[in-house]
Amino acid sequence: MSPIRRSLLCVIGPGIVWAVHFTTVYALISAACAPRDLIDYPGLLLSGGLATVFALGLCLLPVLCPPRAGPPELIRAAFWSGLIFSLAVLANAGALVFFQSCGG
Amino acid sequence: MSVAEEPAPCSGARMGEDTTFEAVWDTPKGWRVLSSVSHRVVGRRFIYTGFVFFLIAGVLALLVRTQLIVPGNDFLDLETYNQVFTMHGTLMMFLFAIPILEGFAVYLIPLMLGARDLIFPRLGQFGYYCYLFGGIIVLSSFLFDAAPDGGWFMYVPLSTTDFTPDISADFWLIGITFAEIASVTAAVELITAILCARAPGMSLAKMPIFAWYILITAFMIAIGFPPLIIGSILLEAERLLGLPFFDPLAGGDPLLWQHLFWLFGHPEVYIIFLPAAGMVATMLPTFVGAPLFGYGFAVAAVVSMGFISFGLWAHHMFATGLPILSLSLFSAASTMVAVPTGVQIFCFIATLASGRPRLTTPMLFILGFLAIFVLGGLTGVMLASVPFNWQAHDSYFVVAHLHYVLIGGMVFPLFGAFYYWAPHFSGRMLSERLGRWVFWLMFIGFNTTFLLMHLTGLRGMPRRIATYPEGIGWDRLNMLSSIGSYILAAGVALFVYDVFRSLRRGPLAPRNPWGAATLEWLYPPVTPGFNFHGIPPVHSREPLWDQPELLEREAHEVDGLMHGLRDGRRETLGCDPVTGAPLYILRLPHPTWVPMIAAAGLALMFGATLASVYWLCALGGVIALAAFAVWAWEPSDSGVERDVGMGTTLPVNLVDRRSHTHVGIVGTMLVLMALFASLIFGLLYLWNTQPQIAATMAAPLAVPSGLAGIAGLAVALFGQFTRHFALQGRTGRAALLAQLTAIAALLSGASLGWALLPVDPRATAFGATLWAIAGFVAINLCVVVFWALFNAARKLAGRVGPGQSLPDFNLATFAKGTGLMVIISAAFCLAGTLGGAAQ
Ligand code: HEM
Repeated sequence: MSPIRRSLLCVIGPGIVWAVHFTTVYALISAACAPRDLIDYPGLLLSGGLATVFALGLCLLPVLCPPRAGPPELIRAAFWSGLIFSLAVLANAGALVFFQSCGG
Repeated sequence: MSVAEEPAPCSGARMGEDTTFEAVWDTPKGWRVLSSVSHRVVGRRFIYTGFVFFLIAGVLALLVRTQLIVPGNDFLDLETYNQVFTMHGTLMMFLFAIPILEGFAVYLIPLMLGARDLIFPRLGQFGYYCYLFGGIIVLSSFLFDAAPDGGWFMYVPLSTTDFTPDISADFWLIGITFAEIASVTAAVELITAILCARAPGMSLAKMPIFAWYILITAFMIAIGFPPLIIGSILLEAERLLGLPFFDPLAGGDPLLWQHLFWLFGHPEVYIIFLPAAGMVATMLPTFVGAPLFGYGFAVAAVVSMGFISFGLWAHHMFATGLPILSLSLFSAASTMVAVPTGVQIFCFIATLASGRPRLTTPMLFILGFLAIFVLGGLTGVMLASVPFNWQAHDSYFVVAHLHYVLIGGMVFPLFGAFYYWAPHFSGRMLSERLGRWVFWLMFIGFNTTFLLMHLTGLRGMPRRIATYPEGIGWDRLNMLSSIGSYILAAGVALFVYDVFRSLRRGPLAPRNPWGAATLEWLYPPVTPGFNFHGIPPVHSREPLWDQPELLEREAHEVDGLMHGLRDGRRETLGCDPVTGAPLYILRLPHPTWVPMIAAAGLALMFGATLASVYWLCALGGVIALAAFAVWAWEPSDSGVERDVGMGTTLPVNLVDRRSHTHVGIVGTMLVLMALFASLIFGLLYLWNTQPQIAATMAAPLAVPSGLAGIAGLAVALFGQFTRHFALQGRTGRAALLAQLTAIAALLSGASLGWALLPVDPRATAFGATLWAIAGFVAINLCVVVFWALFNAARKLAGRVGPGQSLPDFNLATFAKGTGLMVIISAAFCLAGTLGGAAQ
């Protein structure tokens, strides 16, 4: 992959990871808290926690090992995109940490 | 400016026609101008029409404010008041804000990127007429005394036949869905244009920042509009056919409408804000005299906002009883979106600090934008907090917040843009002196109107009430808000006067009047309708600042690719989507009536549905289909090679993933997948929230479900093999496989229908949704059948030359997407069967 394509991927990639993580957490909450009651609360916490660790690892990639070649603007964009989306993934997960049940 | 050129016989030339560059690109004269497909004409039409809708919606806002000026007022009766605020919100959001910004994008993007036109000009014309006709349908409801009155978000059950038995809701649903076609087509068009037609050397990292904003916005439209389109179609189907999607007694759920609406509605706010912020990011460096600070930060911020804005929709539903855990998730995402927004605002502030700003009228509007939008953002963070939201819900605090964001974030930059790009529309400058008056009237009027509304809301005044009793602390605030709105209106009226005044008396605009850096100022503002005789190679993001040779010569003498290429055809340069390297010549259509006829056919279809005259509805559909067929019937020029100057030879068209038509197909698939995903979301939502009623549905048949899945796989595989053989030039095999693709598509559609035979769509919402999914997939399968047979027929008729395999290349992508939809639908049917219906 050419350097410019790789840096572009590092800009967009964290966003895609965030979107998948958000959808997963939303789906898990819906599975646990809707009338069908598909999973219990500990199950929600466990799967949500695993998804978060995985997503965080991927989002932090462009921050911890930024692309070495490519246009400097895109490398900077990749760094910031990684950082913003890592925070956003943590924020998604925060909802799970601060509550002990679906809460009505 | 005319360039003397010798006609040269060449492939693709229209024999006997005048082949000068100017003649080829000339805008048709007289009433034939309506057939123009040029981005300049279409873009301007969007802008002018959008502004007219803004004025109408503004007058409606003044009626609202006049009604509320004193307590107990009876200037408007209750029913009319409901209609007036509903139409105000509807026109502003759907027929003004998005279309006018898209108009600017359609107009500016090719000019900024170094393209001679947008890549799919006919789609632009088609989109415009859909928008115009859709808007006329919505507005005409006033004539029939059936203006929608259920609020701009048309909540159910209020908008179902039980509570709105007349056709006012139908006007909204049909008119708005029709107008939205324009937004979606413009999105596909802009994505393709930005990715595939840029000046040589303009990699994504060298693209003007405005193009990044528009690219992300276009992706957001492609994904964000489908949920509302699906929601509107389901609601119209409930009203017209009695399918119970939102009826709780049959396992439907009114909250499903809210989910679908806000899945669109919240990203929409960013869809409105981002292009406007892109305009600010373009104008600001011009007046500061320095490049935008932190291009990389800004790109990261725009990408982040594009994504995160899709995770906020339920913050409009905090008061609906969702589980607290869900509320927290959406509250967190809503707070998080402030981070990239803040990054972006800091980029603007740092740019301001990096030079000595010239305080021109556009600059005043930019400063106004910064002040107002930041305040709106702050009240947004307040509203993202669930406990505060419950207090402020549906109060005037929310009305104040939303206008701070929308007027601050979009109307102020837009007026700045009017002053900045005015020379492009009339060749003249608007008045700086009047412009300052316009700004101050609007700024003072706006803050008087809406700052006070925060207080009115905190004092408990609910939104959408036609009057209020006196003596409870709302009187004076409302009086002042109304006076503020008149001041704001005076500012807008003065602007309109300035526009008409400048048409005759405004000073003529010189070339690049503001000293800007981007390519749209390369030519003197008003040209006869064309861009770029030669498409200049670009080495920087600020070409007019960093490449002085561009402004040293007359624009038509500037060196560039395709200068002097005389094919008698409208052509521009196709490029690699990432690096911007020139790859091929793109041949563009000339003026034509076909898209307008297609849009008129659809308008007839939609209008006749409203009037319940179904034979007319069918006639409209036939007219539209015939027009689409004529549109698709186009001789291919692939395989021809041309010398484009500067030592470069390029082919016409490219049979490759990077080809513009393929990128367009991928964009279209994105929209279709988002439509499909919205239906699947609806299905899962109802299954999850209404388990008892979903369980009463009869199970789909197992064998046909399995058959449908297999046939879906065959659609994808045959499509892919057709591409394979076509690329190898084995026309006979490709024709055979195209026919097999069509047969597999027919089989999968029939099997899906067969599988669902036991399911009564009127009995349960779950069953109705399954049928809706099958219907949607069937429409896509029809397209596959038509397209595959069309390709096969052309091959069998010997109309396909060597290297002309682009239609098969593109069909393969479409067939794979459609095959995937069939497989997923079949899997859901099978799951229903195996799980004992929907238990
Ligand atoms: C030009 C000055 C404007 C004024 C004086 C104004 C005034 C108002 C007022 C008073 C309401 C509340 C009506 C009620 O709840 O009873 C309202 C609602 C609304 N306005 Fe505006 N507005 C203006 C511009 C805009 C713009 C530019 C937009 C969008 C781009 C917009 C979008 C809306 C929306 C979406 C609603 C909610 C309608 C509903 O509740 O269904 N407004 N406006």
